[in-house]
Amino acid sequence: MAGIKALVGLSFSGAIGLTFLLLGCAIETYGVYWPMFVLIFYVLSPIPTFISRRLSDDSESSNACRELAYFLTTGIVVSSFGLPIVLARTNTIKWGACGLVMTGNAVIFLTILGFFIVFGGGDDWSWEQW
Amino acid sequence: MAGFLDNFRWPECECIDWGERRNAVASIVAGVLFFTGWWIMIDAAVAYPTQEQMNHAFHTCGVFSTIAFFMINAVSNGQVRGTRTEKAAWAGQVRARLWLFIGFMMMFGSLIGSIWILFGGYVVPSEFLPSVCPCWSNITLIYKFGRTEDLWG
Repeated sequence: MAGIKALVGLSFSGAIGLTFLLLGCAIETYGVYWPMFVLIFYVLSPIPTFISRRLSDDSESSNACRELAYFLTTGIVVSSFGLPIVLARTNTIKWGACGLVMTGNAVIFLTILGFFIVFGGGDDWSWEQW
Repeated sequence: MAGFLDNFRWPECECIDWGERRNAVASIVAGVLFFTGWWIMIDAAVAYPTQEQMNHAFHTCGVFSTIAFFMINAVSNGQVRGTRTEKAAWAGQVRARLWLFIGFMMMFGSLIGSIWILFGGYVVPSEFLPSVCPCWSNITLIYKFGRTEDLWG
């Protein structure tokens, strides 16, 4: 295990990211909760990487499954930024809320990336680690 | 005079050491372009919802590009070049080439269609954004394919 400090730090940054998202919805001048839909993208984003790591053993060579996972993960991340922009352009949410949501997105995805870097580097990617 | 460019070489770009990460970077860039193109289409469809503002048939360019993308990426380079050794691979090679041919035709056809929409529908009148969207998503899908070809490199 890479340590408790990393875990605490990552969970703190995750909480900050979710705070930004909630601020984008709950501040009185914004008031609408449509941006919460990006939570779907947060949940979906690690899944392709998990699946590709589970299915394939070689970690060094070029791996088509892993690259497909990167492609899909990038798509999910882009979608989570695209959704607030589209919502703001149609005036469903305000641009200030859009900015807060995108900041929250950035923090959350950096947190997820941090999880993969800190806790995912082992060769033995098995469920016992949980 | 015939060979005067023979000694011209592009300046060596040593700033980025690609190495083994090239495929991963290519797939990430491809993902960004592909999904950005689709979100631009979604944005145009949301901003101009009626048939008069943006003809709904314009979506077909994006759809055909996506289908072509998956078709092209489904076939690996080895199958097309016929580097497999079994005899039955001959028929597989021909079929793979036909599949790729149809995929490329769809890709280029939708690209041409989207450029047509861009110029024919919108350069003459004043509305700009709806025209950009199908064209952009097609260009990005073509670029994306050009990059994911690195995946087999």
